Amino acid sequence: MKVYLVRRVLAVIPVMLVVATVAFVLVHLAPGDPASVIAGPYATADDIAKLHHQLGLDEPLPVQLLRWYGRLLRGDLGDSIFLRRPVLEAIADRLEPTLLLTTFATLIAILIGVPTGIVSARRHNSVADQSFMLLALLGISVPNFLLGLLLILVFGVWLGWFPVAGYVPLASGLWANLRSLLLPSLSLGLVQSALIARITRSSMLDVLREHYILAGRAKGLPERAVVYKHALKNAIIPTLTVVGITFAILIGGAVVIETVFNIPGLGRLIISAVLRRDYPVIQGVVLLIAVAYTLINLLVDLAYLALDPRIRYQ
Amino acid sequence: MKTKALVLLALSVLLAVPGQAQETPRVGGVLKAAMIGEPPSLDLHWTTAVITQQITWHVYEGLYTYDRNFNPIPMLAEGHTIADGGRRYTITLRKGVKFHNGKEMTAADVVASLQRWGKMATPGKLLWKDVEALEAKDPSTVVIHLKAPSGSLLYGLGRPNNGAAIYPKGVIDAAGDGQLKEFVGTGPFRFVEHKPDRHIRLARFKDYVARAEPPEGYGGKRTAYVDEILFIPVPDVAVRLAGVETGEYHYGQQIKQDQYERIKNLAALEPRIVKPSFWATAVLNHKQGLMTSKKLRQAFQAALDMEPIMVAGVGNKDFYRLDGALFYPEQAVWHSQVAVSAYNQKDKQKARKLLKEAAYTGQPVRWITTKEYEWMYKNALVAKQQLEEAGFKIDLQVVDWATLVQRRNKPELYEVFSTGFSFQADPALATSIQCNWPGWWCHEEKERLLAETVRESDPKKKKALIERIQMLFYEDVGRIKFGDSFSLDVARKELRGFLSTPELFFWNAWLAR
Repeated sequence: MKVYLVRRVLAVIPVMLVVATVAFVLVHLAPGDPASVIAGPYATADDIAKLHHQLGLDEPLPVQLLRWYGRLLRGDLGDSIFLRRPVLEAIADRLEPTLLLTTFATLIAILIGVPTGIVSARRHNSVADQSFMLLALLGISVPNFLLGLLLILVFGVWLGWFPVAGYVPLASGLWANLRSLLLPSLSLGLVQSALIARITRSSMLDVLREHYILAGRAKGLPERAVVYKHALKNAIIPTLTVVGITFAILIGGAVVIETVFNIPGLGRLIISAVLRRDYPVIQGVVLLIAVAYTLINLLVDLAYLALDPRIRYQ
Repeated sequence: MKTKALVLLALSVLLAVPGQAQETPRVGGVLKAAMIGEPPSLDLHWTTAVITQQITWHVYEGLYTYDRNFNPIPMLAEGHTIADGGRRYTITLRKGVKFHNGKEMTAADVVASLQRWGKMATPGKLLWKDVEALEAKDPSTVVIHLKAPSGSLLYGLGRPNNGAAIYPKGVIDAAGDGQLKEFVGTGPFRFVEHKPDRHIRLARFKDYVARAEPPEGYGGKRTAYVDEILFIPVPDVAVRLAGVETGEYHYGQQIKQDQYERIKNLAALEPRIVKPSFWATAVLNHKQGLMTSKKLRQAFQAALDMEPIMVAGVGNKDFYRLDGALFYPEQAVWHSQVAVSAYNQKDKQKARKLLKEAAYTGQPVRWITTKEYEWMYKNALVAKQQLEEAGFKIDLQVVDWATLVQRRNKPELYEVFSTGFSFQADPALATSIQCNWPGWWCHEEKERLLAETVRESDPKKKKALIERIQMLFYEDVGRIKFGDSFSLDVARKELRGFLSTPELFFWNAWLAR
């Protein structure tokens, strides 16, 4: 177990190195540069070139890359060109909204998706099953920004129950924080709940057809125990994978939803950074998201071990 | 009883009349303005970004600003005298004006600021070519020695965009060659905090020394009625409008023009048409490639029908004007109809003939545009169709704004690019006719006329020069003007005293509740 864990953690290092290099090269090869954005629309080419030099962007790319590696080794992601503060600080400042948003969205996705999947599997081919699956299909097909705008229109503008945009930090009160996050979490979570529902349903259907379930029923176990104790524990493994992926997808989805709902999280940070070509911020956030993906994968794998002892022997 | 009723009636009339005639401004409250994005810098000398100007000119002030007719009027200056045949400007500063750091503004601050502006800012560099020396004669007098008389100096000093903001000398020294580290000015609002992607918070400056004259254009008495202004970046246009509708923001900028009718029907809101705003344009590359051929440029101009292009861009007749003049009708002194018969020709026959004379054989015309400003893309899309009907082959390249801004500086990469030219008070400083700007419309006679325009201070003579430049603009096809475009902003009705002008400002505005 310990060896496995150490091996998995060490395997993260080359992945990070590749991600860091690709992120660096891609953002620097993309057209557009921060100097043009800072100088504004009426600046002359000379003004922009001067700024380019001041920002150190006229040095050869390999030199810039080596310098970045050097800083990375010291745990320094560099300074944001526009925010004029360390990238790590800027990221730390944006973590709270994104973490809360993705956590709430994942909870919503699980709370809606798992029970729906179970009910659908138990009432296979019933009207309820088919209706849920139709809704799930719709859910998967709707882009989350569209759902977000719809929720803003209905619950923000027409009913006035929730703010249409903005973020209230947790420190300002739990209720105010929840109010500011509910609509964006729903926009993200509802779409993902559809995926979780479909996976849970199909996995439960497979398990419910197994012989041990039949045996359990034959020996007179209550249906509740059959479904929740025996079937669900085994059926949940594929769902767990999807929940893990969901959390990771939601970090990506937050990029769009944070922009729509004007939430100052990591998503907004990276969108602004891309539009302004704030290279150190783009590189830093990409690296961080890669770390998050890798860690989530690791945690999901560890959860498998806990849930299914057979995996330990493979 | 009757007497009492009469007294009450008289009192109520007395109380009611002033209320109806003019509302007393309310002091207090936090004004929330939903902006299209974040400023790239808060240093006004550093960037030409309009959003930087819109936010920071509440904090910083210049020696001059503009009146309602866009003529320069003193702001931090008390006044000036001109001597030595128009080559020496002696500017007297207002006394007792304090910076937000508590220090009093002196000539040393002004000299340091103007020198930095002349070295760093795009319009500053342009004007500084004619400045020989700058000196602080005494703590409240600054003297500018020019190489030649200037008709543009005061316009330049009053210009809001990338403007000649006066900072404390200490702040400038601390900044060195880089951007400001502190944001200190003399304006009615002081900078409090910048939380990126959340807000920029400004608060009333309690020691602000306002001018005595009543408000006039951007000048006169500036009063900070609200306690604070929050400039909140709200990138999604639908959310900007929804936020103003629900009362989360008091003002939202750049709303889609197709929402105009809907906003008019919402009781709590007021649509604000910003007029003039900018002209929509296609900039031709005069330096390299196909468009160096004058006949091709003329064919390009001849083929276009501006009405459908402007309709596609803004959608509603209230938001555009088909006018070929280089300057707006609102700038009565500079507006002219000379040579505009070449604007909006919609003559495909003529275009085909010119293409033939230019020996054009269908080489693709690379046109860079962006969907980040949707109107630019839509303008280009309709124009492309019209040009192709006339025989051009257009290769429309849609990129993001940052890419467009970078590519337009490389003459080998394009023939045409989309942009807009925002309102400029002084024709001599207008980007639309500058030679050293992408597109590089450099023309010997035009440059000579432009140099004369900078020097000329007699409005009549200056207008004659502008008319000659306008003739050359159409004869040589400097750029392609599609039309004047107006933006739509939205404000809640409780935002009072707020004027919609080409430049956004919130001093003298208050919140009724």
